[in-house]
Amino acid sequence: MNDTIKHRIIRMLLILIVQILICNNIQTFGYAPPVLLAYLTMKFHRGSSRESLLIWGFIIGLIFDIFSNTMGKGMAACTLLGMLQPFLLNLFSPTESVDMLVPSFKTLGFDRYIYYVVATMLIFHFTFYLLEDFSFRHPNILFTGTFVSTVLSVLFILLADVVMPKDKNVD
Amino acid sequence: MRYLIELYFKYRCWLIFVVLEIVSLITLVKFNRYQGSVYFTTANTVAGAWYSLTSGVSSFFDMQAENERLEHENEMLRKRLNDLRSGMKEEDNTIDILTEKNRNLRSYNFISAHVINSTLNRSNNLITIDRGEIDGVRESAGVVCSSGVVGVVYKTSLNYAVVVPLINEKSIVSCKVDIDSARVFGTLQWQLGSPQFSYLNDIPRHEVVKEGLEVETNGFSDIFPANIPVGTVTKVDDSSDGLSYSLTVKLHTDFARLRNVSVISGYTRFERKFLEKRVGSLLKDK
Repeated sequence: MNDTIKHRIIRMLLILIVQILICNNIQTFGYAPPVLLAYLTMKFHRGSSRESLLIWGFIIGLIFDIFSNTMGKGMAACTLLGMLQPFLLNLFSPTESVDMLVPSFKTLGFDRYIYYVVATMLIFHFTFYLLEDFSFRHPNILFTGTFVSTVLSVLFILLADVVMPKDKNVD
Repeated sequence: MRYLIELYFKYRCWLIFVVLEIVSLITLVKFNRYQGSVYFTTANTVAGAWYSLTSGVSSFFDMQAENERLEHENEMLRKRLNDLRSGMKEEDNTIDILTEKNRNLRSYNFISAHVINSTLNRSNNLITIDRGEIDGVRESAGVVCSSGVVGVVYKTSLNYAVVVPLINEKSIVSCKVDIDSARVFGTLQWQLGSPQFSYLNDIPRHEVVKEGLEVETNGFSDIFPANIPVGTVTKVDDSSDGLSYSLTVKLHTDFARLRNVSVISGYTRFERKFLEKRVGSLLKDK
């Protein structure tokens, strides 16, 4: 097992603890809690294998679903995020940047990184609430839920960026 | 083959993505009750529309056989009408009988429907018909055709309904056999095998049952009115515990060629249920 995978698993365990103990207990205006676990999918470096991104996304979603009793919703949303992550990262990366770029304040710059986090979280939460509603009958719940959860998730992710241990190989 | 392998390597990412999303959606529908019910309602509507399209084509080719069957039925009805007319002249109290019959019939309303999909070779066969809640079809309503009983409505959507036919292992219909002007009651239950035969169980051993007797509904339940033909007794056997008879019944309904059916919607059904519930609660109070 190489260092990157070890580091990824340690990160995952830390984030899982925060997700279960703190995030899952936040019920803002009756909407679903922020999803910090999606942070892991978001943090894959540029040029990562697409297959590993998809499978990691699926596993992260599955773990989130098991602990949040939302079977299927997190899995589908995280897998979609895994599929779209390379496109989003390319969209917000500076034109002249390193091949193994890991998205962070340092590598993307403050503005671009914020846009990147907001875009990924919007996609994740929109998919999540779409599956929660499973129809377009309650658009107010769909859009309000997406907005509230995205704002909270972005705040938690920015906080996690500050306190999370850095992987010297890639970060 | 080489082209296929190349194609796989080229699009494997999309393939993995589609597989993982399908797994996620199956989990979503399986483990979440709300999403499951939305999926099944939508699937029922979509499948119903597709079946009605395919059955429209196949029914066109079956028209000749259907015409012959209808002619046969008309002939039989004409004969019965003549019998009744001649009987009316003989009976003095015909008016009373007709009034009573009319009163019984008024309790029921028949909604005609077409079979758009059916299965014959499974243990839990089902039939889909092209009438639904909009047309007044409700769950647990009886379904009959010109030759006899078909089954009971199990689930409904707006435009379609799924019927549990007699040839489903879960279907149980209360029936009667007239033996020497005495009514003997039993329960009709199907076992996996031929869709032409079913089994009438719980017939007491002291009754002298012969082959060729007619099996009809007994009217105890509010699903079917009494005296709707079900089939003919073809074989008399002992039940597995040896305490009663089990009769093999050849069903009148030909499920393989079933096209036109009628759903019985009971006008007085809710009235009866309400009355029985009231009596039940009164007895409980005492």
